[in-house]
Amino acid sequence: MALSKIDVANMLTGATPVANGGTAITSGFKNGITMADLWRITTAFTDDATPIASNWERADTYGFGQLGTGMTESSGVFTFPSTGIYRISFHVYIYLNGDDRLIETKIQTTTDNSSYNNLSDGVSFIQQTGGALTYNNSHNEGIFDVTNTTTHKCRFTVAVGNSSTAIAGDSNTSGTYVTFTRLGDT
Amino acid sequence: MRKDGRPDHIEDALVVIHNKQWFTWTDSKNKIYANLRLTEKVGVDGNLVDNTVTELPTESAVNAKLKELQDAWDAANGG
Repeated sequence: MALSKIDVANMLTGATPVANGGTAITSGFKNGITMADLWRITTAFTDDATPIASNWERADTYGFGQLGTGMTESSGVFTFPSTGIYRISFHVYIYLNGDDRLIETKIQTTTDNSSYNNLSDGVSFIQQTGGALTYNNSHNEGIFDVTNTTTHKCRFTVAVGNSSTAIAGDSNTSGTYVTFTRLGDT
Repeated sequence: MRKDGRPDHIEDALVVIHNKQWFTWTDSKNKIYANLRLTEKVGVDGNLVDNTVTELPTESAVNAKLKELQDAWDAANGG
């Protein structure tokens, strides 16, 4: 006998759990993620950028899809579209024809629109392979509680040990980029 | 830059001519010399400071640097 529908509610007493066939899914849970955005560096640079102040763009190629109202950016400072709990990721594409023992990448946040602290600190290095240009990456993640969009902002930094270390930039394929996902209400 | 490291674009030369985020493009999807500009500010130690590079290199200087980098790569790689 094929089972197409079982009326679980008639087999139970008391409240029917949503997972058991109750009908309160839309009222019992918050709806899904409503905001996702990706920004990237369009132009390569060498040496430090504390913060990365220019050459940001929102992804706009190869099927990128923004969800909800996105971030805004000015001189490397990102402003959130609404209050909430956000996941922030920062991915850095690094290359060098040489060695660099410490490449430090950070997500920095402010809660007063002035002083910044390190929400996340990532490190990487490059040890030249085969006597040729060698690649690596650094990745940071953080979760930030944005209770006020005027005061709570973020920015991104790269500090290298070898001033020739390059950070990739591309306006077609995202190499060095940040993503923002609103996970829920604050 | 090709993945094997051979420079193949003027941006590969520009990042060698000066450090930091000293240049930008008026159209980042059309990175030609005519679209090259200086940035006004760069990030240093948590602050935005004036770009210390105040003059664009000439197109011939950029092309010469790119050729220099390509020649060096070719020499190092049996080209």
